[in-house]
Amino acid sequence: MSTIFTITRSFAAPHDLVWKSWSAADQMQTWWGPKGCTIEVRNFEFRPGGFFHYAMRFPGGDAMWGRFMYREIAAPRRIVWLNSFSNEGGGITRAPFDMAVPLEIHNDVTLTEQAGRTVLVLKSHPHGATAEEEAVFRDMFASMEQGFGGTFDQLDEHLATL
Amino acid sequence: MPDTLSLSFAALADPTRRAILARLASGEATVMELAAPFDMKQPSISKHLKVLETAGLISRRREAQTRPCKLETAPLKDVSCWIEAYKHLWDDSFDRLDAYLAEIQATATKGE
Repeated sequence: MSTIFTITRSFAAPHDLVWKSWSAADQMQTWWGPKGCTIEVRNFEFRPGGFFHYAMRFPGGDAMWGRFMYREIAAPRRIVWLNSFSNEGGGITRAPFDMAVPLEIHNDVTLTEQAGRTVLVLKSHPHGATAEEEAVFRDMFASMEQGFGGTFDQLDEHLATL
Repeated sequence: MPDTLSLSFAALADPTRRAILARLASGEATVMELAAPFDMKQPSISKHLKVLETAGLISRRREAQTRPCKLETAPLKDVSCWIEAYKHLWDDSFDRLDAYLAEIQATATKGE
């Protein structure tokens, strides 16, 4: 499986504290989610096969629902899950807005302690894409790591080099 | 909502079609012009163009006899759009996680 993007962050906190912030509903609620929204936890089952089901509430807007389906949890260093939009009942849905978003996104996060800090690496890619689609992702968005902004001009330039 | 993302990817999964898009990035071209660099007959190229047109990656002018093809960048922008948005979601969340971790550690220290 090819990774579409990787985010690496170093947190000034011990390993177990960072792990806790992922493994409890009240903690996930405080930091996870799109900017400006309040996360309301409907269900939180932090185990392989379990779901984190939540509502994203924006001021003056309808709630959008989403879910994590945990596939692998290896305390205290690795979490693998599928993220998708959902309905209120927890079933997978398409994005509720007019943007082409993959039905499910596969995420893999690892934590390692380094000199009292915790280094987090998140790798994401669309789930269920064919090998060919994965290749397209790789080809087209490899340069995003170097700050490819997705603007028309850059996209045109990049296309021209394919 | 039609699954435009899948359509785009299916269309982009073929190297000939990517080469056609690359050629169109430098301007409009007719089927004849597009077929020239490939060892392919016009009907094969036309099939590829049909796939690209269905995915909305190219458009073809109706008025001209030769029906030149033009690159449409909007679906490609859609493809890059969710990646950007998803990356932002995590960057923002990790900023908050950073602040949250600092806060709980400060509280813990004060309480000692």
